[in-house]
Amino acid sequence: MTGPMDLKLLERDAFRRFYEDGLMDVFFGLMLVTMSVGVVLTDWLENEAAGTIGMLGISVVLVTLLIAARRRLLRARLGEFRPGPERRRKITATRLVLVGSVLVGVVAFAVAAIAYAGEVPLASIDVLLPLLWFINAVVVMGAMAFYLDVPRFAFYGIVFGIAMPLLVWPDVLWGISVPVWIAFGVPGAVIVIIGLSMFRRFLQRYPPLPSGEDLLDGGR
Amino acid sequence: MAAASGSGGPTPGVDRLIHEPARLAIMTNLYVVESANATYLLRQTGLTWGNLGSHLSKLEDAGYARITKGFKGKQPETTVSLTPLGRTALVEYRQRLMATLDRIAE
Repeated sequence: MTGPMDLKLLERDAFRRFYEDGLMDVFFGLMLVTMSVGVVLTDWLENEAAGTIGMLGISVVLVTLLIAARRRLLRARLGEFRPGPERRRKITATRLVLVGSVLVGVVAFAVAAIAYAGEVPLASIDVLLPLLWFINAVVVMGAMAFYLDVPRFAFYGIVFGIAMPLLVWPDVLWGISVPVWIAFGVPGAVIVIIGLSMFRRFLQRYPPLPSGEDLLDGGR
Repeated sequence: MAAASGSGGPTPGVDRLIHEPARLAIMTNLYVVESANATYLLRQTGLTWGNLGSHLSKLEDAGYARITKGFKGKQPETTVSLTPLGRTALVEYRQRLMATLDRIAE
């Protein structure tokens, strides 16, 4: 063992290592790409519900694949641990923020639905909802960056947050139409590329460990 | 309980069982988590399976570590955690080592 015995740093680095695989990054990027696919689907099928269902379906598949892939990859290469009390508190805080974010999303969806039914002026909704989207994305991803000690998630929060205003505001304010693949697709693709390069580096840095549980008994 | 070095040694009162670098690495890595499997310790410490097993059994014999054998699916899984005694021992080790280093500085 080298270096000073800084236990907090040791814990942080060990925990952070579990996010060096880049798969979360690929997931975040694909979520953005999926949103642009959702809009394309809606236009193509000329049915908003079908587009939304298609987008949710792709998201569920992505989440399932992410969980399975990370479990398999990380278990073989980094092992598993149960975090200490302080880290568990941080993970709980992250989950609470995520739940809060979903609730904000549901409220925003309801407000938008009411607005499109004609109860609220559409122009104000088209300005306010993207702003809410931005704040929500920055707060959620910022909280993840802070509590999980992964600073780049804050950057992704800004990229996520900017996407919706970039799509809606130029059209509402100046009549300029920004294609969905520019607002969502390009930033998403950039995050996917970052994730894939991290994934490649992770595979090189942490090769699978040789199995040898039986050798543990050799010292007895 | 592990033996401490004699009062006339270079590190008086310091727990020699923990003072060994590989065991110190194992104990510090276990101290910051609730429990970990052997693969995690292997990656964190850079030890071989045989070395890890040898040091873990010494820590278990001293009452510092608790080792649980089980299965995850069809794969054998060894889970290790520090006992309250092990946690206290590491804190005391740190305090005594710091005190010793302070004396050397003077």
